[in-house]
Formats: sequence, C-alpha cells, structure tokens
Amino acid sequence: MAEAAGLMEAPTLISSGDASPVSPAVLARIDALQVRYIRALDLRDMAAWAASFEGGDASYICIARENEEQGLPLAIMLDDNQNRISDRVQYVTKIWAGTFEDYTTRHFVQRTAEARRADGLFEVETNFLVAYTTTRGQSEVLVSGNYKDVVQVGEAGATFRSKRAVLDTAVLPRYLVYPV
Amino acid sequence: MRISNADNTVNIRWPSKFNEIPKEVFHREDVYRLELERIFMGPEWHMVAHRAELANPGDYKTFQIGEAPVLIVHGEDGKLRVFQNACPHRGTQLATCPRGSGRKIECPYHRWTFKNTGELAGIPGVADFPKDFRKEDYGLRELRSAEVYGIVFATFSADAPEIDEWLGETKPYIAHFLDGDGDLTLLGYQKVLFDSNWKEYGDNEGYHAPLLHVAARLLRFPKTRGEQFMTTHAHKVNLTELPEPGDAGFLRDPSVIMPFDATKRIQASVIQLYPISLILRNHDTITMRFVFPRSVDCTEVHYAYFGRREDSAELSSYRARQASNLLGPSGFISLEDGAVFNRIHVASRTPGTVAFQKGVTGPITAPITMDKGEEATNLIRWERYRQTMGFERA
Repeated sequence: MAEAAGLMEAPTLISSGDASPVSPAVLARIDALQVRYIRALDLRDMAAWAASFEGGDASYICIARENEEQGLPLAIMLDDNQNRISDRVQYVTKIWAGTFEDYTTRHFVQRTAEARRADGLFEVETNFLVAYTTTRGQSEVLVSGNYKDVVQVGEAGATFRSKRAVLDTAVLPRYLVYPV
Repeated sequence: MRISNADNTVNIRWPSKFNEIPKEVFHREDVYRLELERIFMGPEWHMVAHRAELANPGDYKTFQIGEAPVLIVHGEDGKLRVFQNACPHRGTQLATCPRGSGRKIECPYHRWTFKNTGELAGIPGVADFPKDFRKEDYGLRELRSAEVYGIVFATFSADAPEIDEWLGETKPYIAHFLDGDGDLTLLGYQKVLFDSNWKEYGDNEGYHAPLLHVAARLLRFPKTRGEQFMTTHAHKVNLTELPEPGDAGFLRDPSVIMPFDATKRIQASVIQLYPISLILRNHDTITMRFVFPRSVDCTEVHYAYFGRREDSAELSSYRARQASNLLGPSGFISLEDGAVFNRIHVASRTPGTVAFQKGVTGPITAPITMDKGEEATNLIRWERYRQTMGFERA
C-alpha cells in the first residue's frame, strides 16, 4: 500500500538547473527582508507584516504540505491580493481582538535556495521553525516548514511579491492567530 | 439505548437541576474511559469520511473512532468499506498516513496482503501454519458501515439502529447542505488540536453565543431569523439564512463573505450529529468536521472542505478562497470559538457545575424546535449522554 501523504519530499520551487549565481549584495537585501518579516511577526506588529508585501497582486498563503502535495488548494490563510493582506491586519487587530488566547512567537529561518528569474524577480526558499509561548509561560514548537517566496529587489531594499508558507505540521498544536 | 448503571464503577453525582452539568465529566480519566466504551465503541454511528476523499478504487483514508484506528478503503467493486486499521494476524497498524492509494493492502510485519475489498490474498509461510488455519477467517476486520450522500458512517456496535433511523430528520438537510446528491470534490483540509475535552468542543461548536463574534455581527447574524431542532437521536440541525450579503464596508475584499451567485440566499447552517461530528453549509463553503478525542484533555478536528463535481474552475477557486479564510480554526468568523473551548477546559478543574440558561424554561425532550440562538437544545445531548453513561440524578 503506497503511503502517499505526509512524508514525501516537498516539491521545490527552484530546480537545480535554474541556479544562476545571485550577487552577495542582492542576497544581503533578501536576508534583511526575511529578518524584517520575522521580527514584525515576533513583535505581533501586523502593520509591519503587511508592509513587507508590495504590489496589488501581492500574496500571502499559509498552507499545509499535506494539501500542497496533493494539489488541493485549501489553505490555512489565503490572502492572494493586497486587499486580503490588509483585511488580515483587521482580523487580528480589530475583529478577533480580546477574544483569543494570545501567544508570542520566535521565528528561526535559514535560506536554502535562491534563483534569479527572467523577469528580474528572485525566487527564494527558506526553512522556518517557529516556537510559541503561551500566556501561561510555556514554550513549544508551533510549526516547521519552508517558505517559497518571490522577492523584488531594488536599490532601497527588498519586498515580497508573494510568500507561500508551506507547513510540514499537518495537525496544528493550536489555532493560528498570526501569520507564519 | 438505556444502559443500566448497576455495574458502573464510575460514579458521578448528577445534579437534580436539569440544566446543570457537573464539571468533573470534562476531566476525569475514568469517565473518559467509560465514554470510549459506551459511546465511541457503543451503539452510535460515527462520520469517518466522504467519498470525495477517496474517489478512486484503491484509495484509502485513515481515521479514528474514539481511540480506535480505522481504515476506510475504496474497493475495486466501488464500495467503500471501513476496517479496523490492524492486521488480523498480529495486530500491526496497516496504514499510517492520512490518505493514500494502492492496489493491495500489505502488512509490513509478515507481508500478509489483502485485497481492497478486505479478503486475505497472500500469506508467506502458510505451510507452517496450524492445520485448521482458514484463509477466509483472516480477512480485514470490517465494521458496520453505511454511505449517505457520500458520507461514510461506521460503528463498532451491532446494537446501533439502522443508519436511516439514527439520522432521522437530519437526512433531507444533509442532502440540502450538499446541494442534493453528495457528488462532491475534495478541496483540502485544515487540522488542529484543541486543549479541550471532546464534550466541551461539542457543547460549544454546535452552539455558541454570537456575542463572541464581531465577525458574526458584521454578517448581521444575531439579528437574523433562524431555527434549530433536535432529533430523537440527539442530533441538532441549526438553520439560518442571512438576509443579504454585505459587511458594512469593513472588508476591502468582501469575497470571503459574499455569495458566488448573488441571487441566492446565504446559508449559515450546521448539522451536529451525536456524539461529535459536524456538517456545515456556510455561504459557498461545504464543510465536514471529523472529530476524535486524543485524550480526556485534547480533541483533534479535521476540517474537510468540498466543492461540487460540476463546479466551474471559477466557482471551485471561489470556494477555496472563501473556505480557507472563513470557517476554519483560523477563520474570519470562527477563530474565536477555539479560545472558548480551551478556557472552559482549564476552568473545569474548579468544583461545581456549568449551567445552561438561554431558552431554558423547563425539562425538554426531542423532537423539539427552538429559535436558533437558544442553548437549551444542548440539554437533549446531555440527557442522552447521562443515560448512556448510567449516571443517576441526585
């Protein structure tokens, strides 16, 4: 009996043939963006989270690898335009405020692959491990996974055109309030 | 259905007031063990899959009834069967992944193989077996099961009533929620743990105060007319139609709460099957919540989302965009529920009882119809629970 779901290698965004060298200056901007992004989340600063995306068609999608591998479109969070990204800021800061059990996170990231596309944007893959701490003071792993990002790099710095957080964690240890 | 408590070693002093529930049932390990025996292994049906999750012959899904692992398999003959997920030889778990596919089912321990209809097919080393070994005695252990609009129900009990009797008046509503015939396609899953007893999840998932939900107020849910009814087997059907789409301009992308077809009424309706399964129709989102207890303190919920087979690519995408953000553990109008499940569980360690109040006027029995906002209907679930568990009122 084939064991299809759950343990297969995740499909990669970047195939080895695409790997053209990316300059250290560009890599530094990409890494600075990723650090700015996780700092915003660890500070629960939703406005700063939203500000790391650029373009009307910018997207943030957080999806279980179980769905991703089987070609199922259903996500945990599916914000595929700038309006939805801005609505998510409203969900967290206005609509859900005062109801949920709060938690803080520490995101740890490691860039694992990058490639320059023909259109000048950069595709970047980054592992993440997110620890969370409850109001009772206990810390555990929230999720692990891999970001598949499309990054725009300019003189002033880098921004996400799209960010896809693919979660290895199929069964979440708690409901997610904040993006990953 | 009524079980004597004569041999009960688990004693709960049930309050004489009919609207009070003793908190200790939410955290006592001995109570939980008895629930597994009398409810999850007892004469109730459990929703374990929808055909769309295992659409082709050879496809399978694993799930649990209570703590018992089960394997749902789509046979070559087109029939969906539910088996114990254990080899009939030495009891090894057969499949470990949530879903998969294969021509045969093979046990990794001694390489016994089974057809996807359950019969034992191959046995290495059979020459050394006892003389009275009969291959036909060692097919996969099959549960009683039934398929209703593609939904697979199963039970370990020979005493559960026939499925149509057990589902009772819910059946036409199940059809209605699934747009008629249950010819669905799978859009995907959201899965989460709640640090909550399964009964706390059940008490507050099928019913919770709209007061909790800012989002529900944006949808004008509290001011919307609706009704709920309880069936004789303690299932709840809660039917609401939202009068008109709209969010008072709060959202920049209101597609999360707008209907695909603007001429259709928006449903926000729930069927909660005793003890713990849910089927929901909310906007264009068709959801089944498959639930099992992981322990007395933890409940696992698989939110499965579906479209219709005839959906256009546009409608399919619309459903996935809406379902992802609307109604799951991190959903726009549902995230707040989870906070309540967990908090009730922590506080259940304080002495005393919890009390239902809204809509409570006196003892009630099913079938009964009430306004959608009343919490009194949960008392019918609790009465079935009390009787099944054999707990006597003080």
